[in-house]
Amino acid sequence: MAVQMSPLTEKPAHIGDQLVYDFDLFADPGILTAPHDRMLEIVAETPPVFWTPRNGGFWVMRGHAALFDAARDTETFSNDFVTPELAERVFAALPPDIGHIPSAVPINMDPPMHRVYRMPIQGVFSPKHINTLKDSIRDLAAQLIDEIEGQGECEFMNAVAEPLPVIVFLRMLGLPVERLAEYRELVRAHLADAGGGDPVASIVKAQHIVESMTPTILERKDNPQDDILSMLWGIEIDGQPVTLQDIQNYGLLLFIAGLDTVMNGIGHGVRFLAAHQDVQAELRANPEKISDATEELLRRFTFTVPVRRCTRDVEFYGAHIKANERVMMLLPAADLDPQEFKNPEKFDMAREERVHIAFNAGPHRCLGSHLARVELNILYEELLKRLPAFSIPEDKPPVFHGGHVLGVDTLHLKWSVS
Amino acid sequence: MKLCIDKADCVGNARCAAVAPELFPLDDDGYIAVSEIDVPPGSEELARRGAKACPERIIVIEE
Repeated sequence: MAVQMSPLTEKPAHIGDQLVYDFDLFADPGILTAPHDRMLEIVAETPPVFWTPRNGGFWVMRGHAALFDAARDTETFSNDFVTPELAERVFAALPPDIGHIPSAVPINMDPPMHRVYRMPIQGVFSPKHINTLKDSIRDLAAQLIDEIEGQGECEFMNAVAEPLPVIVFLRMLGLPVERLAEYRELVRAHLADAGGGDPVASIVKAQHIVESMTPTILERKDNPQDDILSMLWGIEIDGQPVTLQDIQNYGLLLFIAGLDTVMNGIGHGVRFLAAHQDVQAELRANPEKISDATEELLRRFTFTVPVRRCTRDVEFYGAHIKANERVMMLLPAADLDPQEFKNPEKFDMAREERVHIAFNAGPHRCLGSHLARVELNILYEELLKRLPAFSIPEDKPPVFHGGHVLGVDTLHLKWSVS
Repeated sequence: MKLCIDKADCVGNARCAAVAPELFPLDDDGYIAVSEIDVPPGSEELARRGAKACPERIIVIEE
């Protein structure tokens, strides 16, 4: 896949040369071949907060302490990422008949409104509720792995890493599982131009996602089932009954977040296991260590990069950030910061240091983190139980992509069939 | 041993309860349900690990 680096933007005058570092979050060559090696390189070569001229120019926060503080300072680092300049440009370009513009609620909100919209969907993603799904997730994982076991090889993203979390999520939401391929394509198209492409095209793509869900949403109003879309019709927001647009907004967020995250976490974790026979052997012999392995894999291969808008001029960890400048939270680098983790490149299940921020910190802590942990843990358990030692064929190295999710495109595996 | 928890800053990671569910009660939404915990004798090590597991660092140990 040929990916072009974006053109260089001129550096604003208030940014010192020592804070500039050339890094293309979407098309950096290192990201496409070994994303977390590139993260280690960035950690070694950059200050905790730096500025890159790629993708229109933005700040990149990579220090663990800086990110922890920024995630909890929602007044300075806002999730309402649309700058006044961008809003003006988009509104000028919008066709008059654009219709409802969906908005990924509540990830794009700040406290206190964020809490108002988050609380109604908190319970269904709580540990208590997620634990009731474990058996069905395990059955599905077992079924997907058993289907490939006799083949001796597979492209793992397509065979297991994608269908497992996506089917689990479609079932939770209440969307028809047979439309999986179509839904994934909508998410792929949506995320592909999150790098600062045509904002009107992005709105239209978000509308396509909402349109794909709307018939099911409407159907659930009259005929509720045991799923999230039905549950949403029963909630109140700030004392008001929920509207169709509210549910479409929630749906957009859950759709994007649910269909493109865990699959990549699985991809990074299984890629590592395939490259480390000693770790596979240790976990097969001691399956009780797999939950520690799940946590350490999340730390070692943290993969999401949320965005914030700075709301005021601020001195922050050596950088002078101005109001309305964009900030990327490079969480994958934060969890490889030697200031926080001794020998961060080392995979160490017995690590005693502070915990990772793979699910970010502060009020925007990943809503789906409990589901993600359960899925990852079960997948590793079933994979190590059902497949013999697996490895990566030398002629088919894994392929990755960049962006707000450092993801795995393809991961070929092979193993011996008895 | 006693634990003091800045309950208002809990964001629902539930890592404390993953270490020791009987020590760290959660509400139905997955947030910590209490702001103080009297640690029963013998559970000090679990309490320490549970406190350390909090990504928000809001569980403080008072010996």
